[in-house]
Amino acid sequence: MNHRGGLALIEQTWLSWMQHRSFFFLLAFGWMVPPLIYLFVWSTAAGGGTIGGLTRGEFVAYYLVLIVVNQLTYAQTNWTVGDLIRDGRLSKLLLYPMSPLYNTLATELAGKVVYMIFAIPITAILALVLRPELHLSAGQVIAFISALGLAWLLRFFWGYWLALLAFWITRADSLLALQDALIFLLAGQVAPVALLPGVLKTAAIALPFRYMAGFPVEVLTGQAAGVDLVTGFALQIGWTAAAIMLYLALWRRGVRHFTAIGG
Amino acid sequence: MTQFQIIVQDLTKTYRVPEREPGLKASIRSLYHKTYREVPAVKAISFRIEAGERVGFIGPNGAGKTTTLKMLAGLLHPSGGEALVAGFTPWQRKPDYLRQIAMVLGNKSQLMWDIPAHDTFRVLAEIYHVPASQFDATLGELVDLLDLGDLLSRPVRNLSLGERMKCELAASLIHHPAVLFLDEPTLGLDVSMQRRLRKFIAEYNRRHNATVILTSHYMADVVELCPRVILIHHGELLYDGPLAGLSEKLAPFKLIRLALREPIDGNLPEGIHIVSQENGSLTLRVERRDTAAITAQLLRTLPVIDLSVEDPPIETVIDQIYQEGAI
Repeated sequence: MNHRGGLALIEQTWLSWMQHRSFFFLLAFGWMVPPLIYLFVWSTAAGGGTIGGLTRGEFVAYYLVLIVVNQLTYAQTNWTVGDLIRDGRLSKLLLYPMSPLYNTLATELAGKVVYMIFAIPITAILALVLRPELHLSAGQVIAFISALGLAWLLRFFWGYWLALLAFWITRADSLLALQDALIFLLAGQVAPVALLPGVLKTAAIALPFRYMAGFPVEVLTGQAAGVDLVTGFALQIGWTAAAIMLYLALWRRGVRHFTAIGG
Repeated sequence: MTQFQIIVQDLTKTYRVPEREPGLKASIRSLYHKTYREVPAVKAISFRIEAGERVGFIGPNGAGKTTTLKMLAGLLHPSGGEALVAGFTPWQRKPDYLRQIAMVLGNKSQLMWDIPAHDTFRVLAEIYHVPASQFDATLGELVDLLDLGDLLSRPVRNLSLGERMKCELAASLIHHPAVLFLDEPTLGLDVSMQRRLRKFIAEYNRRHNATVILTSHYMADVVELCPRVILIHHGELLYDGPLAGLSEKLAPFKLIRLALREPIDGNLPEGIHIVSQENGSLTLRVERRDTAAITAQLLRTLPVIDLSVEDPPIETVIDQIYQEGAI
């Protein structure tokens, strides 16, 4: 492990990205739109009453937190991993005495800072206007931070192992598009998972996608509590471990394959 | 005993390339039944290089030069044979090995596009664990030798190709590699920039005793930089030795250029081949061993204003090998 080189790389990548901040602000704005639409749909539908036990203000709180969580966990770097492999730029990274994972992590972390510079003020303004309803306890906040960290790890490594299939398949990034679609449907974007109909809800709880975005939001808003909270964390940790193991296995085999056929 | 920096024994690389007939039917068939063809790129080549040597890899496109270089840099796993570079097996890609080498690919950049080269250098210094004092000294030396000056503070995307290439070279030397692989480092550069980079590479090699392996299609690079050349063709090693030797071996003739007061009439002496003739100038090709005698005879019998004897241009020699595929 070469953390020293990795940290320097992260710092420089961030500086490099700040050169294009308006582009990334636009990207961040684009990602914000679908949850915003559903925020208005559900809060309008709830009106003065409740839907599935959630009031208008609670829907607003749920979706505002989701906007931030979604941007913090979205692993956009994975889209570039396939290109790196396909066009042979990976060769350049393999020459360094440092894992190329650092390179992906660098763009990932650099991106987060740039997106947050945009997303946090916008969400704060929306919160002032839309009056969310959120009752927080210290325990919830601590659980939320843990769930958020795990959600990022899971979403990053899940996307990363999918992207690494580019070692063998020419356009592996179509799988990333599929992952995005499943997250949209099953990770609490269309509706909070608790509101999904029967089969979809069961699928959402069992599959990894809820634990990449919706679950931390449920933890903070108090929708996931008691047994739900414990099983939720267990599944999140399990899926994260699976994603990391898949990454390690595919990376080793992939590099062997790459150096056999040439970049 | 001589210490070899690079030892290559029977190094072989065969690519497995998927193959299918053109057309829709064949493309559907290839979905479930893939056929492969074995393409030999490097065939059991062997050579040894001492520390501090400058060696040119030459050969036509697709000869196996870059494949060999990539195996030595650890980017490709060979199909057979052995190699030891600085005491390491390259394709194990041990961090201690990677810290000793650098590879410059003329068509690929390692600089970050949007920030000044100086910032990339700092990242590289961290990646290679270069101490701050050594970094400052190295950078000072590189700025001096390559005349980098204010280039370092401008975003890389605003640099010209030549300026960028100077920065690429500097970037690859921040960690003082003991072995330097240069794959077409002067690709696309103008003549004076090429000359400048060559001068720099020679000077760097002299100062630090770094081993340099270079591939280039510009013969001037090889002529000026490499006392020794290794010629690869169709994956086989055809020649290993001084460049001059290659020319002697392959082209056992010399060129005599003559400027004459008046056009000649009548025949030239036996054994002379006219390469070109226009107005008062004449280029002749003669056997190497007959050069002195024929020159004397020409001076005696023809109205000579000026006469020079030259080796055939190295490009011609090389082209002949590339065309014929043998020495």
